[in-house]
Amino acid sequence: MDNRPVRRRRTGVVRHLLLAAAFLACSSQMLVVDANSWWSLALTPIQMPEMYIIGAQPLCSQLSGLSQGQRKLCQLYQDHMKYIGEGAKTGIKECQYQFRQRRWNCSTVDNESVFGRVMQIGSRETAFTYAISAAGVVHAISRACREGELSTCGCSRAARPRDLPRDWLWGGCGDNVHYGYRFSREFVDAREREKNYPRGSPEQTRILMNLQNNEAGRQAVYNLANVACKCHGVSGSCSLKTCWLQLADFRQIGEFLKEKYDSAAAMRSGRKGKLELVDKRFNPPTAGDLIYIDPSPDYCHRNETTGSLGTQGRLCNKTSEGMDGCELMCCGRGYDQFKTYKHERCFCKFHWCCYVMCKRCTSLVDQFVCK
Amino acid sequence: MRRRCAPHVLPAPASGCSGIKLSATRSCDSWFFFFFPPPFEVESQEQSGGGGGGPTARVVSAGGCSLFSSTLSRSFVARRDFSLQPFPFAMAGAIIENMSTKKLVIVGVILLLFQAFAFMVGGLIAPSPTTAVHYLATKCVDTVKQRQETKWFMPWGPNQCDKIRTFDEAMAKKIEANNIVFAVHIPLPNKEMSSWFQFMLVILQFDIAFRMHNQIKDGALVTIDVSLAYRDDTISKWTEMAHSFEQRKLSCNFTTTKTSENEGRHYECDLLPFMEVGSVAHKYYLLNIRLPINERKNINVGIGEIKDIRLVSIHQNGGFTKVWFAMKTFLTPSILIIMIWYWRRITLMSRPPVLLEKVILALGISMTFINIPVEWFSIGFNWTWMLLFGDIRQGIFYSMLLSFWIIFCGEHLMGTRLFAAWSLERGQVKMCESGLPTITELVTELGSHLTNNLQDQTERNRLSVYWKQVGPIVFGSFCLFIFDMCERGVQLKNPFYSIWASEVGTELAMAFIIVAGICACLYFLFLCFMVFQVFRNISGKRTSLPAMSKARRLHYEGLIFRFKFLMLVTLTCAAMTVIFFIISQVNGGHWHWGEHTVQVNSAFFTGIYGMWNLYVFAIMFLYAPSHKRYGDEQSSGQCITGDAGANSGEDNQLTTTITHVDGPTEIYKMIGKEAQE
Repeated sequence: MDNRPVRRRRTGVVRHLLLAAAFLACSSQMLVVDANSWWSLALTPIQMPEMYIIGAQPLCSQLSGLSQGQRKLCQLYQDHMKYIGEGAKTGIKECQYQFRQRRWNCSTVDNESVFGRVMQIGSRETAFTYAISAAGVVHAISRACREGELSTCGCSRAARPRDLPRDWLWGGCGDNVHYGYRFSREFVDAREREKNYPRGSPEQTRILMNLQNNEAGRQAVYNLANVACKCHGVSGSCSLKTCWLQLADFRQIGEFLKEKYDSAAAMRSGRKGKLELVDKRFNPPTAGDLIYIDPSPDYCHRNETTGSLGTQGRLCNKTSEGMDGCELMCCGRGYDQFKTYKHERCFCKFHWCCYVMCKRCTSLVDQFVCK
Repeated sequence: MRRRCAPHVLPAPASGCSGIKLSATRSCDSWFFFFFPPPFEVESQEQSGGGGGGPTARVVSAGGCSLFSSTLSRSFVARRDFSLQPFPFAMAGAIIENMSTKKLVIVGVILLLFQAFAFMVGGLIAPSPTTAVHYLATKCVDTVKQRQETKWFMPWGPNQCDKIRTFDEAMAKKIEANNIVFAVHIPLPNKEMSSWFQFMLVILQFDIAFRMHNQIKDGALVTIDVSLAYRDDTISKWTEMAHSFEQRKLSCNFTTTKTSENEGRHYECDLLPFMEVGSVAHKYYLLNIRLPINERKNINVGIGEIKDIRLVSIHQNGGFTKVWFAMKTFLTPSILIIMIWYWRRITLMSRPPVLLEKVILALGISMTFINIPVEWFSIGFNWTWMLLFGDIRQGIFYSMLLSFWIIFCGEHLMGTRLFAAWSLERGQVKMCESGLPTITELVTELGSHLTNNLQDQTERNRLSVYWKQVGPIVFGSFCLFIFDMCERGVQLKNPFYSIWASEVGTELAMAFIIVAGICACLYFLFLCFMVFQVFRNISGKRTSLPAMSKARRLHYEGLIFRFKFLMLVTLTCAAMTVIFFIISQVNGGHWHWGEHTVQVNSAFFTGIYGMWNLYVFAIMFLYAPSHKRYGDEQSSGQCITGDAGANSGEDNQLTTTITHVDGPTEIYKMIGKEAQE
């Protein structure tokens, strides 16, 4: 384990060679590879705990959607993979919650590409998806850390398991959020970092966009984590105070990123291959802001090329003026109305866990569905 | 008061400010008076230039003996045929007065270097003082079969319990709340605790989701059935360390609106104190927490939908402990040596030590008490009372330091009181020249008061005079001691105990803390008034300094310098402490300077600790009686001349300083001699 950095460097060289070869060979092939995403970890449950105890390779090669760098990380940190999957799942769930009332509702299409072809467009929605899933990984890894599920957790300065006890004894290593952040950066960004495109090319621009959005997602977790402190000096005075980061509820992170989505900055490839604002009157985005490079496709209609699913068959709210209103949601196509019975729990008696005694109340409600 | 202000000297104002003439600008209300021990008032009267009683009256009010000694010493000093100690309670010439500026600067620079070193040790070598580690309790399922024996639930590793990830899972499997055990293993995997961590405290936090129909009731109490176990290797059995039923009050609020839209969002709950152990003698700890439900007794009902239990354990870092121990081990002998040196000097003098000298020694002793690195034993032994002991040691030192400041101010006030005598002296000199009868007259009149006054001085040299000022300190620290005993004392028995958990306990704790706070305020009022008084005296005296005889001037200059020096150093130290405290509170804990990380919190601890050690060191060194012999009266800051001064010898000089006890006889003798002449 301790010679890991060396090994990584070597693989780095190999990786570059391979990538260069691959790039020279055919760039269209890359697009196919790109269609697979590590997000698929969210959909393919990893249920082989015994696998990573043995340290067997198959797990990582079995998992689809990993890039080469990610596969390498998978082999090194097999126990983390389950939580990366969970993180991606929380991210997707939250995305769906936040976009439940919009034309694009973050629906997953298949197990391979997860969101379908829409993600190939560098739109606002893509930006949000990258951010929230990166945030999900930070959240999940930090949480797993706290549960004691990860062996390398805690001391976050590079993984040096042999030195760990000494580090731990000397200065402790408590910051799980930091560990989650660093691991997420290693893993999620690995995919973007291992590609090598000429400066200013559309692919390079897209990579820069992804990196920025991933970072924005991770920073959201970090920035929303609030500091909790405890005083424990003489007689409980504050002469000795210990503070730690406390993760925010993931719902809050989702809301925060949704706001970022609304204020996302449109970018384009500028000189020296760097991104620059389309409209220079705005302030340049900070590391915590979302950016996009392409306009959003039309989500009203089903479109095979863009990957849009259309809004046909979506529920809408007749009275609402907002995006969930039938007028906007159905893109003016009109809606069907029908009545259904809605079952609700009522007059319940709860315990703090696992015990609910309720009556079932039923009501008849109107529902509207887009044509 | 009664003793000082002889009724016939000055008429007592109706308000009860007996015998004190306050200047017209100050009101004479009784509260104000309460804060001024008599010496100041006499002083103030003298400064105001007198008005009332004429020279004779003022002489008496100032303390006859002082007048005599000073007047007479002037006439006799040239002859050197006897010694005289006119200021029995004032310190003999301290080193600081007799030290040349150059040497003083050198000492200052050396101390500053040590100070900088202390800060650097903390900032650059030591890691941050404490670490917080988060744990998320694993939800284990207690199957009925295993109920009989006490079973420990491990969250991970071999022999781990049957886990569930969420309570939805439990719901599906029809597991009851009473069968759920929250298990936390401290520390995280692949790590082990160590006695270098010194202490461990654990904080509890609930993640409670908001549900429209299952909200937290007002003033909800959580009853926790908790047990703590330890073991020293990964294979042996767990040994129970403590088991307790604890109640904690949930104080949670929901920040957004309570609508069904926001269901599933978490409440924001306050941190709950959970556990505190004073020594970390074992490698692995295991906590098993249950939240039993009893609907009949209304236990754990209405506490919302608990999603998770989170714990945060805080322990001191091993690296910091090592640096801290090293510092203590280094500081103990330094303070001890200077203390012994200081006390030897005091005992070399013929007179018994005065109060101030004793207080300085006591300060040194309390500093040594704090310094002695008994914590080394905590590495080998499981001494859980170390935390409490540390608190007590700190408390003793703080109260000693506060008392020292008060007494130092007080003693310097009394010292300066003699200034009054001097201001009379100018008036009396003429009388002496004009003829003896005046002085004899004076002597006879004074005779009656003399004994009284001397006795007074002896008493002022006692701690009891300062009861008003020291009282609050003692009382305040006693309150804090009781509070600490209630919290940490009980924790020796039950590590889960918290005084803040119960309603009565909270009120009691608050009461103790408020009383201690009031005492602190009272103390600082006293101190501020005293310092203010001393400064007023000094400024008053400044104007008359040039007109004094050289010896007297030097004496007062010495006093002023001594006081101002301590004042400056103390204020600097206090300001440094406050500033660093604020920095360490505001700052995130560390600064980055290029590649170096400066641990601000550690620097604060080592730096401030080092600073107060250096402070005590400097006081004992600089305020020790001086060696320098007063070969010539002109060269000394003291107006005492040894009778053996001419035939020198430092020890000789030191021994010749007479005590106030034989003061009266000497003075009578003197008076007799003068009269004969």
